[in-house]
Amino acid sequence: MGEIMKNKKMINSSRRNFLAGSATVAGVAAAASVMPITIAQANHTDKGTKGLPKWVGWKKRSALIIHSDKGMETHRDAIGSSVITPLRHVYIRNNMPTMSDAQIGKKANWKLTVEGVKKPRTFTLAQLQQLGQTTVATVLQCSGNGRGFFNHKPSGSQWKTGAAACLVWTGCPVSEVVKACGGIASGAKFMTSTGADMPASMDPKKALVERSVPLKVYKDAILAWEVNGVDIPNAHGGPLRTITPGYFGINNVKHVGKLAFTAKESSVKYMKSSYRISPIGKKGSQYPTCWEMPVKSWITSPLTRAKNGNVVIQGVAFGGTGKVGSVKVSVDGGKNWKSAKFVGPDLGKFAWRQFVFEANLKKGTYKIASKASAGGKSQPKLRMENRRGYAHNGWLDHSVDVKVS
Amino acid sequence: MKKGLEIFNEKAGCAACHVLKHAGSQGNIGPNLDMSKDAKNVAYVKKMVHEGLGVMPAFGEDGILTPEEVDIVSKYVAKVAGK
Repeated sequence: MGEIMKNKKMINSSRRNFLAGSATVAGVAAAASVMPITIAQANHTDKGTKGLPKWVGWKKRSALIIHSDKGMETHRDAIGSSVITPLRHVYIRNNMPTMSDAQIGKKANWKLTVEGVKKPRTFTLAQLQQLGQTTVATVLQCSGNGRGFFNHKPSGSQWKTGAAACLVWTGCPVSEVVKACGGIASGAKFMTSTGADMPASMDPKKALVERSVPLKVYKDAILAWEVNGVDIPNAHGGPLRTITPGYFGINNVKHVGKLAFTAKESSVKYMKSSYRISPIGKKGSQYPTCWEMPVKSWITSPLTRAKNGNVVIQGVAFGGTGKVGSVKVSVDGGKNWKSAKFVGPDLGKFAWRQFVFEANLKKGTYKIASKASAGGKSQPKLRMENRRGYAHNGWLDHSVDVKVS
Repeated sequence: MKKGLEIFNEKAGCAACHVLKHAGSQGNIGPNLDMSKDAKNVAYVKKMVHEGLGVMPAFGEDGILTPEEVDIVSKYVAKVAGK
């Protein structure tokens, strides 16, 4: 160990401080006085309650499958049946360490710089709140939701269905911001959001969470400060987050510090090389990026067992950027399909709908599947094979084998 | 094991981004390897180290580590993660 201690890397030279009883806050503070704190260490917690890291200690442990301290998905039967996913059950997937209260400072003073407009300027959160307000329900889904079903074991969190939630966001419409800035500068083709969460020690080309989406998205996009009726928790990107309805999660940039209307897509790694849907064995920025979510659905109940007789099959279905038109259910592995009913409130085209299908089932094992359609497109049977396991919407992998007894 | 620890802390610099108690590292960018189910799986770790993900470099694909080094450090991580 002694040889390693001589290493000039900051982390290792401070290791002695951390190991020598630094589990206390005082210990960490003492270590901090010895060397400059980077965001990575300042934010770090080593122990949390109920097996959850402290920064997500407010979540419901039993609703989550913990892949790592940075990746937790909602159990398939824990999204609830009231359309909106309870915040305590919502999945966690953060590319950068979550900003702490200390790093964020007073929320009202959070700054958003707007560029690529006729009158570029910076707004505080308080100013945005005076500019306009709207509320939109959207499906928030990780690009890799469903990766766990791919056979070639792509790298990344092995989500099944749980990296998705339906949430209600409140914030200022981007269109109001555009108006206040005199309109978008000519030549702009993209709306590019940049997170303020990158630790100062990192290389922006590699670590900056910056995502561009097609310009047209600005008409639906909002700069949100509230989710499900509360301030957006730090863990979900508060105090301000770009919401791009119908687009994969990564585009909903957390801790957004800059909004720009640009002629070109961002050139950072998170835009150019990550999140590209490429064939297995191939990669590169010439492949499409994770933008619009395809039509998708999955059964949430029953998942493994049911009592014979009238079985109430439930699930959720959504269309991505367009309204979900219908959803069909099969209890025989896809041989026969019947229409399911949408139940509950319709919260707009960007939210998901709950569906219900009642089947009279005798004792036996059934492969139950759902297949949603939107804008003339239906879910395919098979996954679209791709290197990183993105954008899975195949119905077969999402089917459940239920024993009726 | 010793070679794996060395690659982890030195050549690959994994400590800058990951927690791994055995290596004494406290990085908080990527997943805490002691808390990660997948980190105990050699094949998974090897693929991650080789291909990279997001801000994590493609240590294998980009030639930052030799194939042998990728193998050694992956086996090391899978062996000590969570212990």
